[in-house]
Amino acid sequence: MRKNPLLILLSIVFLALLLSGCASAAEEPTPAPPPEPTEVPVVEPVAEPTEAPAEEPMEEPTAVPTEEPVVEPTAAPTEEPEPMLRTDNLEGETIHLYHFGDLSGPYAAITGPLVFGMQDAVNALNASGGIRGAMLDVQFADTAGSVDEAVAAYDRFTSEDDNVLAMITYGSGEAEALASRFVEDQIVNLTAGFSAEAFYGPGSGYTFGLGPIYPDQLGYFLDWLVANWDEAKPASAGDEINLAYLSWPGAFGQGALTTESRAYAESLGVNIVAEEIYDLSPSADTTTALLNAQAAGANVIWTNTLAFGPAALMNGIGALGLQGQFVLAGDNWAMDLATYAFVSDPSLAVGLITPFPYLWWNDADNPGIQAAQELFDANERPAGAHNVGYLLLLAGVDLLRQSIEVAIDTVGFDALSGQALYDALTTMGPIQALDGVIRVDYSDGSRSPHNVQLRQIQGGPDAFNVLQDWTDMPDLRPAGE
Amino acid sequence: MNWQLLPQFAITGILNGGPVALIALGIVLIFKSSEIFNFAHGQMLLIGTMSTWWFAAEEGMGLPLWLAVICAMGVSVLLGLLIERVTLRPMTGQPLLSIILMTLALGQVLQGLTILTFGTTQRNFPVFFSITDPYKLSLPFQYNGNPIVVILRQNLVWTFVIAIICVVVLWLFFQFTHTGLSMRATAEDHETAQSVGIRINRVFGISWAIAGLIATIGGILIATASGLDLSLSIVALIAFPAVLLGGLESIPGAVIGGLLIGLVQGLVALPTNDFFLGPAVAQAIRNSTEIVPYIILLIVLVIRPDGLFGQKRIERI
Amino acid sequence: MSVLRKRWQYVVLFVGLAALFLLPAYSSESTVSFVNRVLIAIVAVQGLNILTGYTGQISLGQAAFMTVGGYASTLLVTQLGWNFFFALPVAALSAGVVGLIFGLPSLRVKGFYLVMATLSAQFIIPWITRNIYGDILHGAQGLNVPVPIIKLPVINNLCFFGTQFDGELGACVYRFATSDQFIHISLVVVILSTIVAHNISRSRLGRALVSIRDNDLAAELLGIDPFAYKLKAFFIAAVFAGAAGAMLAHNLRHINSVTVNLTDSILFMGMLVVGGLGTSLGPIFGATLVILLEEIATVMSPWVISVLPDNAAGATAALRPLIFGLALIVFLIFEPRGLAHRWKLTKAAWRMRPFSR
Repeated sequence: MRKNPLLILLSIVFLALLLSGCASAAEEPTPAPPPEPTEVPVVEPVAEPTEAPAEEPMEEPTAVPTEEPVVEPTAAPTEEPEPMLRTDNLEGETIHLYHFGDLSGPYAAITGPLVFGMQDAVNALNASGGIRGAMLDVQFADTAGSVDEAVAAYDRFTSEDDNVLAMITYGSGEAEALASRFVEDQIVNLTAGFSAEAFYGPGSGYTFGLGPIYPDQLGYFLDWLVANWDEAKPASAGDEINLAYLSWPGAFGQGALTTESRAYAESLGVNIVAEEIYDLSPSADTTTALLNAQAAGANVIWTNTLAFGPAALMNGIGALGLQGQFVLAGDNWAMDLATYAFVSDPSLAVGLITPFPYLWWNDADNPGIQAAQELFDANERPAGAHNVGYLLLLAGVDLLRQSIEVAIDTVGFDALSGQALYDALTTMGPIQALDGVIRVDYSDGSRSPHNVQLRQIQGGPDAFNVLQDWTDMPDLRPAGE
Repeated sequence: MNWQLLPQFAITGILNGGPVALIALGIVLIFKSSEIFNFAHGQMLLIGTMSTWWFAAEEGMGLPLWLAVICAMGVSVLLGLLIERVTLRPMTGQPLLSIILMTLALGQVLQGLTILTFGTTQRNFPVFFSITDPYKLSLPFQYNGNPIVVILRQNLVWTFVIAIICVVVLWLFFQFTHTGLSMRATAEDHETAQSVGIRINRVFGISWAIAGLIATIGGILIATASGLDLSLSIVALIAFPAVLLGGLESIPGAVIGGLLIGLVQGLVALPTNDFFLGPAVAQAIRNSTEIVPYIILLIVLVIRPDGLFGQKRIERI
Repeated sequence: MSVLRKRWQYVVLFVGLAALFLLPAYSSESTVSFVNRVLIAIVAVQGLNILTGYTGQISLGQAAFMTVGGYASTLLVTQLGWNFFFALPVAALSAGVVGLIFGLPSLRVKGFYLVMATLSAQFIIPWITRNIYGDILHGAQGLNVPVPIIKLPVINNLCFFGTQFDGELGACVYRFATSDQFIHISLVVVILSTIVAHNISRSRLGRALVSIRDNDLAAELLGIDPFAYKLKAFFIAAVFAGAAGAMLAHNLRHINSVTVNLTDSILFMGMLVVGGLGTSLGPIFGATLVILLEEIATVMSPWVISVLPDNAAGATAALRPLIFGLALIVFLIFEPRGLAHRWKLTKAAWRMRPFSR
């Protein structure tokens, strides 16, 4: 009896080794055309040096290349146009898209409208004939803001569909955690979580942003602030710019403070005098954070939060009678109508400055905004969804439509893959989605936009007025890229 | 250290402890009568507060606020009675583990029900007091030549006052009403209470009902601060250490425990970057509001497991 | 009493395990991922079973010790360049040491008080990962965790056993990247932990633990030092949790302070009760059933959305705790001894056929 467990164990270990041998050989991906070397900074796990065919016997050892992997000179798939390339009349075909986000956890306030935007945009697109006649089919999973749920959703989606083109993610945490998987499985990730790590961290490369990364946003704001300090500074402030970083814990809340953005602030002569964290909850008490910031001599506050995040600070400032003592600024999400649901007095929101990588509902002369407004009204969405998330996803779906069309033109519908979509996105050059509601250009090696506006709340809701029109941002991508 | 802000942080902390004390009181109440430590308290509180919102909100019933509060109290009383009757009565005489797990399971069920009925979106809870116009309290002493002015949010002060009024009312209830007295008798000894004609099942039910009621009041008080969402139930997790700090069975202990926890949570904000252990430590201490209750709890457990006012009948081993 | 009596039972076990090992070959990735989640949970619950099931000490800190294990193994791999397979046991042991620290209050208190002490681990440990050593632990953002790899030398310019040449490492590498590959690690760990847990229950240690659970005073009278044994139980439970946490981190490839949280600790307790306290099979049954219920909740949520369209957002989030809580309540009231007990009755009935009802 005693010996038996050991025996079982040994045989199982042996079996495991044997099986792992089989498993890998069987799963060897078919050699894909190597991606253009200039565009892909990371080591592509699939860009196999050996042309090992999949039907090789399982235990056959694979050959090791003696020289460096051959870099094939831009083996663009277009070089051999097949006669049967299907690029049009795709009626009856379906293109699957997958998105997941936090609809029941702390970020639900912002994810809700994003998902509404996605649904409405896809429905509208399908109603108008889809992409060359192919219908879009969208599947959603609720991650409740937790990374392991996101991984589970990712596994579920990839096991249901061998050829996932793109997934849309909404959270910094999940975008970061899944970044390397997107690369390995060659799935384009269009994300609304702009953490630098997700775009440019080790092993990333298939993550594309609908907005600029948070360190860039902080740097962009500081550029403006330094240039305009005399006009913008609070009455009580001196010449020193003292920044307090008051934000949520977590990948998103802490996303703007990186080595690069700290160094950039220092180079501009901006002191970061306080870093305080407050709860990710509408009832967060920010008074201690604010009092400590004040005691540290801060005259500028940056908050990397959204919806009730800035509201908690505004309420705290109101409650402590500190109005006019700080320049309040934040990431692009911080300036949103959702904030007004949580701020006790709308006048407290006046003065907030944020980078603004898209147009706003009050730019009513823009046809994209008009279309968005019509769509919003037609779907009778709740007033709370009339915000940045809805708008951004309408534009995001338009961006996907454009890039998928380019990919179809290049490789044909039947060869459409995440890789093809990646190639399309990185070669299209400047893209204006939804008539310029967002403007991106992924062809310069970056995967997040670099040209934004700066806006300020000047008056009641929706008075998000332009402080500085579309200008280039500082490039604060993490080193190593 | 930010000595200038010491009075500010101390007073804010104590005031913040008011609702915590009220919630801790509910936990003690249930424990005293039935020896059940209610891990579902946070979720009971959440349901009560959510239903207040629903009764009051335009999207819901649109009742006037006072009526909404009364209706929500009715809901929470019924909920308390229902929980006691359906889930905990069958557990009488079961081992501790089963009872603890039962309340944990209840918490999960209530959490699920709350999400199912009310969704997950944050609610804008009605604000009773002006947020922009704080009370300013000038203290009669100075620090470094600066006058010390304590700025207090209106809702903070009134929340505290209401919480303390509730505590006093409960105390009167236990001291002077027949039901209150029979509950105290039951808490002393089930068999003796039964032998003098007290129906202890009824007493259990009443204590759950009252606990639900005051949990709801506590929840409403906290939600008025600036909003309501699912994370509200976390307050109960701060109330647990307060309960143990005060002593599991002591009503004044729960109140003082709650206030003390609030005070310490306020005081951890004191260290600044010139802190003698360095800015990193100061930063860590400032961010420790969520764990100081538990650090206090560990200290209490090691030094004085029966709390400040608890009965010394813990079985030592 | 041994678990297995007859030769055919061994055959069944062996075939079953072989079927699990071969699972990636014939089933979808989501099934494999599900089995993988169950396996990792089993390890954590087996540890809890030793602490709660055998020793009778209730703990709500199991997820916190998983966090310790996950971080420890990640740091060993990323900072010290260890191989995952060496980091895993060390991470488990380090979680065990942390478990010892939080077991210390069991010197003085038990019951509710001990629950609260372990609950404090659930607050303090994630807080530490968020607020201390930010340059290494990356605060609340957490760490990206590398995929476990096996490195083999290149022999005659050839890579064997299905490994692939990795130019950067200059060696043949096998990567346990997705659940399809990771499940082999989980299976081996589960088999090991099952053997260890089962043998603990049959050893002097296990009997001492049970005697403490049943009557600690009597146990002391028999010369068993309850405190020392309780600490041992805390240590073992945390070691199991640490191993589970390390596996989870490397499987998810990401860990932060909330990857495993209080809800998971409650889930583990629930799994243990549903499966059967103090039995070898309990953790396996419990983890499987509870995670299956979670899957059912996920599958049911579209249906709930169609019934309650206004609350589409939270359907999954609502169903999971609801179904889990209800299942736990049902078990507590009607079958407090769990599925393992039911299984034993069924087996007995089968053996007694045709005389059993």
